[in-house]
Amino acid sequence: MEKTINRKSVEKMNAIEIKNLSKSFRGMYAVDHLNMTVPVGAIYGFIGENGSGKSTTEKLICGHLVPDQGEIKLFGKDYTDPGVRVRVGALIENAGCFPNSSVYQNLRMQTINLGLQNPNEEIDRVLKIVRMEDSANIKFKSCSLGMKQRIGIAMALLGDPALLILDEPINGLDTDGMSIMREILVDITKNYGCTVLISSHILGELEKIATHYGIIRQGKMIMELSAEEMDSRAQVFVSLKTKDMHGAKAVLAAKFADVREEDGYIRVYDVDDTAAIVHHLMKNGHVVSEIKKNKIGLEEYYIELMSAKEEK
Amino acid sequence: MAKELKFRNPSFSERIKGMLGVDFYRLFHTPMFYIFLVIAAIIPAMVSAMTMMPGPDGSAATPLYSSVWQIIAATEPLYVIRSIADYANMNMVFIFGGIMVSIFIGHDYKSGYVKQLFTTHAKKQDYMISKSITCAFAMACMCITYLVGGTIGGLLVGYSLEVNVGSLIFAIFGKIIMSLGWASFYTFLNIIFRRYFGISIASSFFFGTGILIIGLAAIVENLSIPTWFLNIFLYGSSVNACLVSNVGTLIICAVVSVAWAFFYNVLGTRILSKSDVY
Repeated sequence: MEKTINRKSVEKMNAIEIKNLSKSFRGMYAVDHLNMTVPVGAIYGFIGENGSGKSTTEKLICGHLVPDQGEIKLFGKDYTDPGVRVRVGALIENAGCFPNSSVYQNLRMQTINLGLQNPNEEIDRVLKIVRMEDSANIKFKSCSLGMKQRIGIAMALLGDPALLILDEPINGLDTDGMSIMREILVDITKNYGCTVLISSHILGELEKIATHYGIIRQGKMIMELSAEEMDSRAQVFVSLKTKDMHGAKAVLAAKFADVREEDGYIRVYDVDDTAAIVHHLMKNGHVVSEIKKNKIGLEEYYIELMSAKEEK
Repeated sequence: MAKELKFRNPSFSERIKGMLGVDFYRLFHTPMFYIFLVIAAIIPAMVSAMTMMPGPDGSAATPLYSSVWQIIAATEPLYVIRSIADYANMNMVFIFGGIMVSIFIGHDYKSGYVKQLFTTHAKKQDYMISKSITCAFAMACMCITYLVGGTIGGLLVGYSLEVNVGSLIFAIFGKIIMSLGWASFYTFLNIIFRRYFGISIASSFFFGTGILIIGLAAIVENLSIPTWFLNIFLYGSSVNACLVSNVGTLIICAVVSVAWAFFYNVLGTRILSKSDVY
């Protein structure tokens, strides 16, 4: 029986809701009483160091691993519900394709697996999304890493998935590959209404697309926040250069609370009024040679957060 | 962007159809299946030729078989092996078949495709059932090419064609039916050793030879205990399908094959459901 969840409910619903999830290997917790909430339609950036439990969590959601305890709900239903799972697409570790089969054959197998009615149209559709329309007949083993990652995305996109789980999809890609991948992800969330859970080490890239973040450390979720919240928490600062850096720093320190000399620049934190700074320095006989407004990015925020946790 | 989300629970038959479709597509689109079909045809032809070869001193050949059909099935249920001729018949398909199943399932894991299957198929029984049916089909096809190869080989070396046709047909169908039980057994073995490709191939070969039942049969025979109970095992029933088979033999093969297939499918599903899939 087909169950439809209407627009109003969808807006309130979470695509993924995890409560108290744990998974251990030989007595060591890889995921430790983890709670996680991914709203419908989000691009959820899942951040953590190597071995922090990101991939294990993703494998648990996909049903590849059996949890020790906890609850996983996808779109309000238990994650073992076949109706929900058939709408999940995943790219975990690798594309999961047969190397001696062509791109088309690999995609064809997945269309059969999903019982899709118009396999060739569906294959054309996903190849177009990942910009590989001309590569259908290439053997998978002959594809470059970037192509393999895109084929993995194409596999995951077959059958109109409601949820995409992508483990490090931009790993090993060059700048162009990353840019294409970014465009693909934004496109599928905007145009296909898909929710994306994406883990990556390349936080700068993630920052460009994520609408929500989850930060995991040693198997525990230490923080979940939206991109807006991240924005409001990210410190603003003005960096500048003058001829007399030492003197200028002393002048600025007398007026502003947080002034530091870092990376050959004077940084004035929690201030974004460049005019006020220039005016203050000129009044005290310092000529500004270079000045710009900055914001601490996801990467710096993450590093600071991790350092704070380590100090504790 | 919020949109209406539709979740339709696929029925059991829809799920199995999807999984079976993938497995058959793979079977027919990879050379491995055809290579094994050829192997199944060549081996009996080679066995036939070897049984008619002269001795190393040039002495005349002493044929091991008296008819073509002994290459297909033994003259009687020979649970204990006394010569290669007792052993070399269509049962050998179940050894090659075991290796084929190991490679087939091993590639699922090695390529990572198993992740796609288990992401979209929440029910692990889909995997067990589909693999058992697909591999049983492959083994049944191998039985047919074995029959063709064995018959041609036997005719070429000049064996007689004399046989009770009814018994021969029951024996052939009995062995083909046993493919289901064997395929389920190998699928189960490969689920157990899914992380160790080499061990899964070695174990399939080891159990496929029927060596455990042959050993048990030798003990049973020495103790003068009737051997009929050996038919409850896959190897026993496969041996029982011989040139004196009748409809009863066929029924025993069907019951034993289906019962073991059910048992291994339930057990394999349970193991997959309770443990990490890779």
